[in-house]
Amino acid sequence: MERQIINKKKRVFSVEPNKIPPSEVFTRKYTSLLVPALKKLNMNKNSSQVNQLTVKHEVDMALALSAQEFAWSRFLLQKLSSSNNPTTTTSSSSSGIRIQERSGKEGGHEDGEIEEKLRELQKLLPGGEEMNVEEMLGEIGNYIKCLELQTIALKSIVQDTT
Amino acid sequence: MLEGLVSPENLSLSSMDMNVLERLKWLQQQQQQVVSRTSDNSPELLQILQFHGSNNDELLQSTFSHFQMLGSGFGPNPNIGFGPSHEAMDGCISRTSSFQMDPVDTMGVMLKNSEENRTISSKNKRKSEVKRREEEKTEKKIKVEAETESNMKGKSSMSNTEASSDTSKETSKGASEIHKLDYIYVRSRRGQATDRHSLAERARREKISKKMKYLQDIVPGCKKVTGQAGMLDEIINYVQSLQTQIEFLSMKLAFLNPELELSVEDLYVKQLQDYFTNLPVVIASKPSIMVDVPLFPLDQQGSLDLSVINLSQTTSTEAPSASCETQSRSLYNTSSLGFHY
Repeated sequence: MERQIINKKKRVFSVEPNKIPPSEVFTRKYTSLLVPALKKLNMNKNSSQVNQLTVKHEVDMALALSAQEFAWSRFLLQKLSSSNNPTTTTSSSSSGIRIQERSGKEGGHEDGEIEEKLRELQKLLPGGEEMNVEEMLGEIGNYIKCLELQTIALKSIVQDTT
Repeated sequence: MLEGLVSPENLSLSSMDMNVLERLKWLQQQQQQVVSRTSDNSPELLQILQFHGSNNDELLQSTFSHFQMLGSGFGPNPNIGFGPSHEAMDGCISRTSSFQMDPVDTMGVMLKNSEENRTISSKNKRKSEVKRREEEKTEKKIKVEAETESNMKGKSSMSNTEASSDTSKETSKGASEIHKLDYIYVRSRRGQATDRHSLAERARREKISKKMKYLQDIVPGCKKVTGQAGMLDEIINYVQSLQTQIEFLSMKLAFLNPELELSVEDLYVKQLQDYFTNLPVVIASKPSIMVDVPLFPLDQQGSLDLSVINLSQTTSTEAPSASCETQSRSLYNTSSLGFHY
């Protein structure tokens, strides 16, 4: 019975099948990846300590896999697969401090300042250092979007369990 | 559809990615235009047209003289820059199809300038973009018609197609436009250098500023700050805050993980709620259907229904998303949703 319902529903396509909002697609992909992975983690690791790093790893993995149309996700995947101990993103706080210092020092030199900042931005973006500036700026845009969606997804997951 | 004036540099259009059909039409148009002006000129112009991108100075000169005769009647769009057209042979195709047939007599001016600038060796390079050189009065606006531009297929690289930079003298009337197909329109003002490198630089800067604008829209609070440096600062801070947030959440998740008993469907519901805050009501029923196809095989389904697995096996990735979409539409009030595309 349920199967029939499902089949029926399957036949109903949206009027514009290609126009699924990418945000929705991303969030769904993301959750559908992350949740089972976490469960798997849970079940596999009998020790109650689920390493925070592994969770981060899964989180980033899910991010990279659900945004495969973007260049940075490829780099992220590379990073993840290459390192068993996932150190995906540089810790934000230190680089934040660094930025402030830098901008304080380079008061007069306008262009150098901007370039410094662009370089910082490049470091934040996975794979950003391998791209040129224009490309990176474009990628940053959708990286930010995906990060936002990721936070929403994570929040909902966390809220659900509390 | 190109509506353009006949100009030598348009010859180079042949080297462009134009449909034969388009070119024919354009030729026809040219003929018509020419005919409307002076009849006897047409054969010669046609001759010019047929001359595909040759470095033919004589021909150019003859055309110039021709146009001199035509004088103001032609009212061409000076942008075609007959002056620079010589140089334009290399690279300036005034694709400015929007040539308004303004009866402005710039011809004389242009020709004068052309004499000066004719030192450029005219090599015919492939013009993928339209670059027009200066010599314009600043009031002269070339409205670029997007449709015509879009008709032309062009490659993106701008640097190759710039006209030779040797003549980079600022012209007295200094407004010029560089048209790049679906790219940025760079306008150089009076007194600005118009050589190849600076033009490329400028175009590049325009691109970057375009992207910065886009980022400005995305990053909240970026609009108040002016200047690129401030904006970049904001963006960096925003990205960092997002990343710390994610770290924090994942820490929390790790902490809570043993208690993980969620179903994917409820999560979707919640997420939709969070994202579109004005959603009316939550769906409690039929949770098992609203699941997307997992991208990697699920080993342990946990609380997911079997129906989900069947879905994943039988359907492509598109269909479930589509079906989910429709379901969500049916379940929620579509009008109130603010889906972002």
